[in-house]
Amino acid sequence: MMLQATIDTEIFRESIDAIAALVTECRLHTAEDHIMTRAVDTANVAMVSLELKRDAFDSFSASAGELGLDIGKMKNILGMMGRGDTLALNVRDDERKLELSFKGYRYSIALLDVNTIRRDPNPPTTELPGKAVLQGSALYDAIKAASVISDKIALGIDPDAMTFYMEAEGDTDHIRLALGEDELVTLHPVAARSLFSLDYLKDMGRVMARAPEVEVHLGIDHPVRFAFEIADGNGRVEYLLAPRIEAD
Amino acid sequence: MLFMEFSRYCERLEKIPGRLEMIDLVSSILPGLSDEELPVFVRFIMGRVFPDWSPQKLGIGPNLLYDAVAYVVGTRREAVRGEINAIGDVGMAVEKLLANKEQTSFFIQEMDLVEVYRDFERIAEAEGRGSQREKLLVARKLFGNARPLEGRYLSRLMLEELRIGMGEGNARDAIARAFGVDVSLVEHAHQAINDLGEVALLARQGPEALRDVKVELFRPVKMMLAQAGTIAEQIGDHGEVAIEYKYDGSRFQFHKRGDLCRIYSRKLEDVTVGLPDIARQLSAATDHDVILDGEAIAMANGRPMPFQYVIRRFRRKHKVDSMMEKIELVPWVFDILYLDGATLIDLPFRERRRRLDEVLREHIAPQFRTGDVAEAERIYADALNLGHEGVMVKVLDSRYMPGIRGRQWVKVKPDVETLDLAVVGAEWGEGRRAGVFGSYLLAVQDQGRLLPVGKVATGISDEMLVELYQLAKESVIAQSGKEVTLEPSLVFEVGYSEIQASPNYESGYALRFPRFVRLREDKGVEGVETLDALSERYRRRSQSGATGGA
Repeated sequence: MMLQATIDTEIFRESIDAIAALVTECRLHTAEDHIMTRAVDTANVAMVSLELKRDAFDSFSASAGELGLDIGKMKNILGMMGRGDTLALNVRDDERKLELSFKGYRYSIALLDVNTIRRDPNPPTTELPGKAVLQGSALYDAIKAASVISDKIALGIDPDAMTFYMEAEGDTDHIRLALGEDELVTLHPVAARSLFSLDYLKDMGRVMARAPEVEVHLGIDHPVRFAFEIADGNGRVEYLLAPRIEAD
Repeated sequence: MLFMEFSRYCERLEKIPGRLEMIDLVSSILPGLSDEELPVFVRFIMGRVFPDWSPQKLGIGPNLLYDAVAYVVGTRREAVRGEINAIGDVGMAVEKLLANKEQTSFFIQEMDLVEVYRDFERIAEAEGRGSQREKLLVARKLFGNARPLEGRYLSRLMLEELRIGMGEGNARDAIARAFGVDVSLVEHAHQAINDLGEVALLARQGPEALRDVKVELFRPVKMMLAQAGTIAEQIGDHGEVAIEYKYDGSRFQFHKRGDLCRIYSRKLEDVTVGLPDIARQLSAATDHDVILDGEAIAMANGRPMPFQYVIRRFRRKHKVDSMMEKIELVPWVFDILYLDGATLIDLPFRERRRRLDEVLREHIAPQFRTGDVAEAERIYADALNLGHEGVMVKVLDSRYMPGIRGRQWVKVKPDVETLDLAVVGAEWGEGRRAGVFGSYLLAVQDQGRLLPVGKVATGISDEMLVELYQLAKESVIAQSGKEVTLEPSLVFEVGYSEIQASPNYESGYALRFPRFVRLREDKGVEGVETLDALSERYRRRSQSGATGGA
């Protein structure tokens, strides 16, 4: 068996949603004590990496391997699953199929040929010195508010005011939200400011909204890295998003 | 070969004015390509993605392209359209947008020529629910990895118009030069297998490989075409000729092996699904494996019906049964290109016709042979009385020349002057025509360029206006005031009273009283009137006008 595991459907849903925010297919790596994936969106602008440790599963046994997952198909099947069900995952070594069993359903999904899926991207090794930690829902609310008036948003840290701020500029409107230490879990007060596309942030934000705490790593005109835990601390998701250049 | 290298070659070719220099450059590149790269390169350089015989189509509309570019550069579709509008060329606009993109990316993956081709295949293969999204994802990936110059040619390839002036003739000459084989061999192989990409591979193997090519079943061959002419000229030049009725129907090519058959349209699209009755009638009429050339016509009460009835059937993809009850289609076969494994296109027409008579029991188009002009004229009059368009006068010793519009076949019909023209623009209508395009800008072709020759607004019914708008709106590439520029894809047959020399249009001519006759859905833009032919019409008309009073 390449993979034989059972998992709470909610954890599985969280994980698939996190990946689906950016890509429609990915290479899933299996190992003895975890599974992980790393993928980049079609325009090379955003990356996702996700790791689920053995403890995120009710039962888990796997050997080292690589599976081609059709995330779109998974999303469709997720719609069938109820809250609190247990999902059994099976991949036999010699078959290119993933078997999903829950509530008496048994789905057999063809795995994609991994060679047709883009290779794992190398994440850029950029220093992002600024860091703020806040509630996922607060982050998502700010993203939604900004997207009403614009298609881009600036994220930054003001060390003098000791705030993490978000700012968006519309044709006629302007919105700014500054969160002080009281409203943040932690703040590394290093000056930072970069501009990002709200198209991407909306999709990521929907997933991050469920996380109690999200780390936001920032620099000046640099990418942003969001990191948060899933599966009660037994899994971790990271998003990396390339900045936009401020138009003159 | 990297796609970047391909793009650099395109850029060089675009700047070369003379065809000899272009052929020089291309012929120097071809030998260095791998067997996998060679056919792709040859097709790409002509602005084509798939072999001409292939039913595969990219199916990327301008809007999908704009959306993919907008996503990658971090803007909106309208902004992309605006840029194209301002620059007037999709490729140049995409290049500029990529050079100034606001959205940065983590990296750019070097694109390989063959990889780009495989991505195009993925785009073409996407169908059914979610296919537009799948096409969009692949297009985004391509533009996400494209540097500005690559973007110029990537976008033009996606619209299958490279605009570097590399036509079939130049490609053929370059292949011959590159591999030291005779141009006529390259041309002959091209006519039989209908894909210069594969011809290039054969040329690399040597002259024998080119000489050995055979017409293959289920790989449609370009249709032989006819010039306009007169009975007297044709008999004067050739003596005895074959005369056949010219049917007002739709040309088809029928391929059959055993129980399996396919029918292809004039544009070589697979139209089998829409024509089950034709398939049935022809399959029942022969026990042989064949490729037949013919015309499907609509019949009602024993008389031919207008062309519109036929084309409706060629367009249908489903629900043929109910249509079939209303319109009966009848095939008339006049040529045979392949018989039980043998390629017949090099045999004289006289001999092909003999084989056709032997192997097909029914549906053979009547043929008359005569060297007498008066008798031929009588046949012509009969044809008109029977409700046909006119007659075809064919040289009995001619071989079948795929894709060639020569004087071996001449069409004779009453002097109704119509032209098939490419639709390159439109103007928003007013009043009753508000909300749709009220007039269309038409063009002739000249060495791969389309040159406007006038606008047509009359002769279009309200129903047709809506239908044309539905077809044209997807092809809008630029808008300025009330005028829009269209990616050329539609062909109109247009009537007129006179051709005039005119500085108002780029072609140098204008049409007097143009009127819409019909939409030529069976014709592609490459089949429209050439500037040379238009000049010839103009010359003939003005000469006959000059002698008319004498």
